[in-house]
Parts: sequence; structure tokens; C-alpha cells
Amino acid sequence: MASSDQSPAPTPAQGTDPTPHGQPMTMGQHVIDKGAAMMQSLTPVKQISQHVCTFASYSHDMSRQIETHHYITRQNQEFLQCAVYDAEDKKAHLIGVEYIISDRLFETLNEEEQKLWHSHAYEIKSGLWVNPRIPEMIGQPELENLAKTYGKFWCTWQVDRGDKLPMGAPALMMSPQGVKLGKIDPELVKKRDDKYNISTEAIQKSRLEIEEPEWINPQADYWKQHGKGFAIDIEETEMKLRAPFP
Amino acid sequence: MSNQPQVPGKPTQTGTSLVETATSTIQDFQPVNQIHQHLCAFHFYAYDMTRQVEAHHFCAHLNDEMRQCLIFDGPNKNAKLIGVEYIISEKLFLTLPDEEKKLWHSHLYEVKSGVLFMPCIPGPIERTEMDKVCKTYGKTTHFWQIDKGHDLPLGLPQLMMALTRDGQLYDELAQDVEKRFGVSFEKERKNRADLTGPAHGIHPLANGGGKGVELKLREVDCKPARVFV
Repeated sequence: MASSDQSPAPTPAQGTDPTPHGQPMTMGQHVIDKGAAMMQSLTPVKQISQHVCTFASYSHDMSRQIETHHYITRQNQEFLQCAVYDAEDKKAHLIGVEYIISDRLFETLNEEEQKLWHSHAYEIKSGLWVNPRIPEMIGQPELENLAKTYGKFWCTWQVDRGDKLPMGAPALMMSPQGVKLGKIDPELVKKRDDKYNISTEAIQKSRLEIEEPEWINPQADYWKQHGKGFAIDIEETEMKLRAPFP
Repeated sequence: MSNQPQVPGKPTQTGTSLVETATSTIQDFQPVNQIHQHLCAFHFYAYDMTRQVEAHHFCAHLNDEMRQCLIFDGPNKNAKLIGVEYIISEKLFLTLPDEEKKLWHSHLYEVKSGVLFMPCIPGPIERTEMDKVCKTYGKTTHFWQIDKGHDLPLGLPQLMMALTRDGQLYDELAQDVEKRFGVSFEKERKNRADLTGPAHGIHPLANGGGKGVELKLREVDCKPARVFV
């Protein structure tokens, strides 16, 4: 079965055109959707309070790097949950979920769990992590807190390899870092900067004063100290039942 | 459900809230603004039918044949984001490689039995939607095993499956949802009697091909770093 580090079998569901398969929405569907949206409160989605644009790479192949758009809800001072998309427009693909926790919460995790997480200090100090359309001075007060956090990011749709539908196993993602495999392709960054008319380099300078965390747990960013990434395999097994299936 | 663990962490500080008031006012959240439907259903772990979870789907259409949904553990402000589901038409499902089809589940039973519903939507409108949904296939991944009482999203992603016949869903789970949302699955089952499923019938490879599916972690060697000029 298609492990996260294997390409799926060639089918119409793959190809160079990134637009998803499927007929455009009918007028009837639009009407139903508008109607439903008026009657349903959609409360959890209304808690989303910020949009961040940043970059990530696949932990099983860090040469594959993507621009990501996080739509973030804060649960409390130490926990954020993010719906992650590959773009910021109406047609963006939902590509995964990231959870962000404080360093205090991270230290409560066991070592096996910690391996699945990545640190954010470099990503923030380097200016890669930005809130589009928000003046730096508004966002900056929070960055010192965020620089101390750790994230866990699962990608469920590998759009960058041409999948027109979400295929295979989820993939673990890693964050940009200042060394070797963690460095983001400058072309990718330039493309992002041009789109928003910003300069990551200038933002980095303006963030020099932001305090670095005193210590980053070496279990995070596992590839740095261990040279290993992670893939997810799909295995057939006996299902524990309480009734016949299917 | 009522006894979910609370997410650990200090309460949000004023300064933090202020920044987020600014961002939520100034920024637009287009991908998320496309979310316009709330569906409630149940999932179980693809290797363990005895572990069942109430799943609140908040769905957006990418086009007429595909939806992408954020899954929360409840409908309220402090709901935890626990997973994602993609929902596709039968036509798109048939384009998938056979190995991929096994990771997708059918919606026919959930819809026809009434257990999949849209809170606060009048029956006739809901039924128009259900007529579409019962012909679709879904792929669901959860990242947070709240049924284990985890107060943080620990461990590996979990492929989930959907109910496929009577006798699978725990009565207590069903009754709790019916009570909290003021719905009757039995009543809806009758109302939905004439809905039909995928034109070609439920594909034999869907729903794990009838088998359990589990995700496992494997360490891999990192490839050498690229040099950027």
C-alpha cells in the first residue's frame, strides 16, 4: 500500500495539472450551501483567528519543500491547532493539520513522541513565518512566545508531487532550520515574498532582537542529530470487531 | 461528548488575544470561509471497530465532486481539531488505484440509517444533501485519540472507517447524540428510505476491502542536502 514516502500508482488521480478533478459546483449546490451556512453556527471554524504563511518539508525527503498556509485557532496560551492549506485562495487544498505547543508542554511528552515534533525558533527568527498583510510591529509581541514552541504537522495531501486527490498514507513534516537539510530553497522564498511584496531578509533583520529559546530539545527536529526521517506505512490487519464488517 | 479531557495550558494572556483580534479583523481567511456545512457522524478506528468517536465535520466544496472537511470533536467554541476527511463522488473514487480505494469508506449506510445528519438543517433540505452524500466515498484521518483520554494529540495518525451496517454503533453513543441534537435516527431512516447509493454499488475494495488497516512508523535515512546556489 502507498506508504507516505512512496509515489502512488499512476492513474488519472495524478498528473501535472494541480486543479482537482471534478465538475464545477452547480448553482443548486451553491444555494444549498449558502442556506446551510445561514442556519448552522459553524462555531469551531469561527474560532480561527490568524493566518500564517510559512514553509515546511517532508521528513522522509527534506528536499521536497512547500509553502504552507496555516489557519490557526488558539485553545489557550500554550496550545494552537492549525488547519493547513497549500494556498490562501478559495481553491486552496486542505493539505493537513499542525498542532503547536509550548516548550513546557513539549517537555511533558515522552521521547518517542518528541521525535515527531519540530522546533519553531529558526523559522520565526529567519522571517520565514509571517502573518500576511499584518504589519510586523503588530505581530511581533507574540513572536517571542511562538519562537519557543514546538509543532507536529501531518500532511494528508501531497499536492506538490502532482496528486489530484489525497493519496497514500499521511506524511510527517519538518520545519525550516538554519542548517543543511533544513534550509529552504531561496526560489521558493522569493516567490512567496513577491506575492506579498515583502522581504523575508528584511523581516529577519527586524526580528534580531527577539529572544532565542535558551535550549531546544534535541529529540525535536530528529533529523538534525540523527540523520533520520520518518515515513508512515499502511498495513492490513485483523480488525477488532463488535459486529460483522463490512 | 461530555467527558472530554481539557487541553492543558495556561489561559490565554491579554496581549496574545490582542494580536489575534488584530489578525482576525485584518486578514481574510478565504480557504476556511469556504466551509459552509456541518455534518455530524461517527467514525471508528480502521483496525478496531470497538473504539468509536463522534465526529463533527465542517466541510467545504472544492468542486461539485469533492469536499474537504475539518473534523472536530464537538460543535462548540473549545472543540478540538482532531482530523480531516475528504469526500469524493463515485466517479472520482473509481479513478483511484486499487490499493488507494481500500483507504476510503462508503457513506451509504450512515446516510440511510439516519446517523449522519446536519444539525439545525430542516429535513427536506438535509435530504437533498444526503441524497448526494450517500453516493460518495470518504477518506478520514484522525490525529488525536480523544477516546483514549489523550489531552494532547499524541502518536501516529489513525485511518478511520465508517459504519456499514446495523449493530456496529454503540447504542449509548447514538442515544447521547440524538438527545443532545434533538434528532431521531429511526425517524430519519424512514424519511431516507428511497435514497440510493453509488450507481455501481459499494465498491468491494472500499472500507478496507473488508479488512482492518493500521498505520505504522518507519525511520528512513535522510537524503543528502541540496546545495542552493
